Amino acid sequence: MGDEKGTREARRACPDLIPAGSSLSLAHYIRNGYSALVPKLDPAAHLPLTPVVLHILLALVDGERHGYAIAQEVEALTDGQVRMGPGTLYGSIQRMLTASLIDEVSAPKHASSDDERRRYYRMTPFGRRVLELELDRLVDVVRLARAKKLVREPRTT
Amino acid sequence: MRRLTAFDRIYAAAMLIFPRAFRSRFGREMRDMAQDRMAEARLRGRAAAFIESTRLLADIAATAPSAWTILRRERTSYVAPATVPYPRDHMDVLTQDLRFAFRGLLRRPAFTIVAVLTLALGIGATTAIFSVVNAVLIRALPYPDPDRLVMLWSVQGSQHGQPVAYLDYHDWRARTHSFVDMGVMRGQSLNLTGGDAPDRVTGSFVSASLFRVTGTKMARGRSFTDAETELASKAPVAIVQYETWRTRFAGDSSLVGKSLILNGTAFTVVGVTAPNSQIPYGAADVYLPMPYYPNAHGFDRGVTSAYAVGRLKPGVTLEAATRDIAAVAKQIEAAYPETNRGVSAEVESVKEALVGRVRDSLYIMLGAVGLVLLIACANIANLQLARSASRSRELSVRAALGAGRGRIVQQLLTESVVLSVVGGIAGIGIALALTKLLVTLVGGALPVEPTDIRLDGPVLLFALGVSVATGLLFGVAPALQASRADLNDTLRSRVATFASRRTRNLLVVVQLALSLALLACAGLLTRSLIALQGVDPGFDGRNLLTAQFRLPAAKYDTPEKIATMFAQTAAELRSIPGVQAAALVRASPFSQNGESYPVSAEGKPETFATDAPSMLLNAVTPGYFSTMRIPVLAGRDIGETDRADAALVIVVNKSYAEETWPGEPAIGKRVKVGGDGWRTVVGVVGDAKHYTLNEHQLLQGYVPHAQRPQIFTSIVVRTIGNPLALSKAVREAIWRVDRDQPVWRFRAMEQDLSAVVQTKRAMMLLTGLFATAALIVAVVGVYGVLSYTMTQRTQEVGIRIALGADGRAVTRMVVGEGARIIGIAVVIGLAISAGATRLLRSQLFGIQPNDLTTFAIVTVALSTVAIAACYLPARRASRVDPMVALRSD
Repeated sequence: MGDEKGTREARRACPDLIPAGSSLSLAHYIRNGYSALVPKLDPAAHLPLTPVVLHILLALVDGERHGYAIAQEVEALTDGQVRMGPGTLYGSIQRMLTASLIDEVSAPKHASSDDERRRYYRMTPFGRRVLELELDRLVDVVRLARAKKLVREPRTT
Repeated sequence: MRRLTAFDRIYAAAMLIFPRAFRSRFGREMRDMAQDRMAEARLRGRAAAFIESTRLLADIAATAPSAWTILRRERTSYVAPATVPYPRDHMDVLTQDLRFAFRGLLRRPAFTIVAVLTLALGIGATTAIFSVVNAVLIRALPYPDPDRLVMLWSVQGSQHGQPVAYLDYHDWRARTHSFVDMGVMRGQSLNLTGGDAPDRVTGSFVSASLFRVTGTKMARGRSFTDAETELASKAPVAIVQYETWRTRFAGDSSLVGKSLILNGTAFTVVGVTAPNSQIPYGAADVYLPMPYYPNAHGFDRGVTSAYAVGRLKPGVTLEAATRDIAAVAKQIEAAYPETNRGVSAEVESVKEALVGRVRDSLYIMLGAVGLVLLIACANIANLQLARSASRSRELSVRAALGAGRGRIVQQLLTESVVLSVVGGIAGIGIALALTKLLVTLVGGALPVEPTDIRLDGPVLLFALGVSVATGLLFGVAPALQASRADLNDTLRSRVATFASRRTRNLLVVVQLALSLALLACAGLLTRSLIALQGVDPGFDGRNLLTAQFRLPAAKYDTPEKIATMFAQTAAELRSIPGVQAAALVRASPFSQNGESYPVSAEGKPETFATDAPSMLLNAVTPGYFSTMRIPVLAGRDIGETDRADAALVIVVNKSYAEETWPGEPAIGKRVKVGGDGWRTVVGVVGDAKHYTLNEHQLLQGYVPHAQRPQIFTSIVVRTIGNPLALSKAVREAIWRVDRDQPVWRFRAMEQDLSAVVQTKRAMMLLTGLFATAALIVAVVGVYGVLSYTMTQRTQEVGIRIALGADGRAVTRMVVGEGARIIGIAVVIGLAISAGATRLLRSQLFGIQPNDLTTFAIVTVALSTVAIAACYLPARRASRVDPMVALRSD
């Protein structure tokens, strides 16, 4: 996005105004009449993630998807282990939008006319940081479990 | 289009438990997804379909609550999520500005607390004074259609606003055309007997029309009829004031129809007024018909002692009514030249008559407190400027991002108004306390009930208005300043200080100049109070007890009876242990009673009554002058030999003697006064004040009581100890003479003397308080500006010191800069003072509004304090370590 360089500059000049890690763009700030306050986003505040949120973020790693597509991707990735209902899915999407973990974007060009009516979501940079932190945390947990001989060593072939 | 199954309908209905915003955003996709899931499940059989449908509904039920909470958080959070519409109208922008402002204020608690406290004091004080102004000057009077209610005055020569003669009133009422009706009244206290102890009530002798004109309703019984209050057809009836009925008669429901013995005559109570009934100049405990006014001469033409009220016809102006009534007065003057020569009439609105006298003082107080508020504004503007210097980077970024100047000004002004409104809310608390204080200080001098002075709707609205105006006032300079900042300069972190410093200096000059004006006013009021307290009343007010009584005319119907009663009373009083001297006098000083008559001296050119000098005539018993310690300057005191049958004599005061017979002895000259024959001057006594301390010295005459017997009297008793301690003994002494005689208004003369200056003292105290507050705020302002400038000039000072300037030179430089600001402020301040103190003229006594000494004193005081405030930053600057200073950026 063209704004991003400007956002970085502004952020450096005035850290109070647009905190680092914020998904909100300069455009957003300007459109809000120059006084929209942006919270200092703290990724640690979101940890640990609920399984649904974790999986939605994982499903969005490869690119933007609409809601149902996310559910299908999660189902596929987990071999049908995680199967969420519409309420769970969209409730989580709403919560993640509010927390700036994901963004709504316009439908990509390749989308079918049926898909075009749907809302597409992508992971924000902040969402990616939260995901990374969560995965680090999980790795630590697994390492701990391994040290206690609770988990089999991964086979290295 | 797929056919909707039963499940689809149920699912759509179940979706209603989600918030509407959630449904409109996700509803369609959720239904699509649910339909897909159901379609898949149906392929696996009916059981699977049933399980799936249950699962889908449970899913909705489980997630709906969190959808609601998220939505609520979204509404209240300051984050505008991507899907919430961007602000499109002003209200949205305003809401955001408000949030931003609050956060900004919370982030700088020190600044916020100082600013809010300053504002709370300023707005609180202004609101408190305004609550008085509102009660006295703005709120409508408690009469129906008060604008059409007018006082009718007689004009005697150059004296306006005089009471009227009853017969004149009668003719006015009959012959004018501008009035719906007129009413008349005369106040006098009444002796109420027949109860446990003789008692005194306030009375008003009225015409029946008075109640109609003032719109006074009766809670019980009826009003007077016109016939009952006419001289020819009078009837002994009475109306009792509601509050008196409640307290004195314990709300006795059978009072109407009963008789009251008033001044020895039985009056039948016919009515009780409605609660809170008020009558201008005439409110009393008991109302009686006018013809019962107990004064033989009370109905003579030329005896002006009644108050007349009129109600104008709709659309008639005050000027037209005055022309109307003056024309009638002219006819009366032509018909009765010996009594009415030079007597005219005028109309004044009741409001003006009641509040005109305090209006000036009130507006002066409002002005003074307004100045304090202005100074506080200037101070906060200065704080804001200092703050905006540190905020300039933030603002520059905003500007660089395309925020227009108007947008930034709007944002900064919002912050200021938020600040001032918070201050205003705190100020209302202060106003509550201050209003109470004000009522105790000056309540007695105001023509309204203390309970009427309160923080009601209009006052609160005023406070809000003042708060918003204040915020805009102190916000506008810093906002404009900040929005003008040069982007390049600030972004390169150079602070454009010059313009900002000039604005700040200007604000300090304004503060100091206004403070000087306030100090000058306070100084003048203080000096005039000192002058007033220094006035010699002409008698010794210490250890002097006064009280009043009146004899019932029916019982004391001959001059001899009255004289005997007075002589016995004087003797009884003198026999009380602890009494040094005692005498009786028609009207004691500062009792606010008194009678003045035209006086003419023998051998001087004859003048008409209205042009003649007016003499305050007092009837006294022997020993009055020695009791009061009024010196007898020439001739003799009034003695026991000056009986009714002896030669008529008079004692005059020094002013009258010197004015009438300059350079000649007054003793042996003859004067005529008060309708009596020629009286020979037998003595000259010192001048004494009678109504108030700052009155123009009155011409006074004293005649022997025996030669002018009157049923009204005051007693004056010179005591050895605390005068009020003898009240009971004095009352009993009088009861030894007449068991049925009520006595009232026991006062120590010193009480009356201090009451005279009480209002002035309150005004001086308040102005002094305001001036001190203003001075403190202004001096803090000077200190703040210099400190701030010095911090910014640390480098320069460092270079100077490095180049060899010594500490004293640096101190001189800084103080010199302060002195320049102070000098300019003093010049402007003196100019403002010259104008402002002129408004005080009516409040001053014994001093001119442009009194040089006062101006000099306050100038020196202000300059000294202000220079002292400069000295601190100067000393700090002189101790700057050049190395540290040069290294600092």
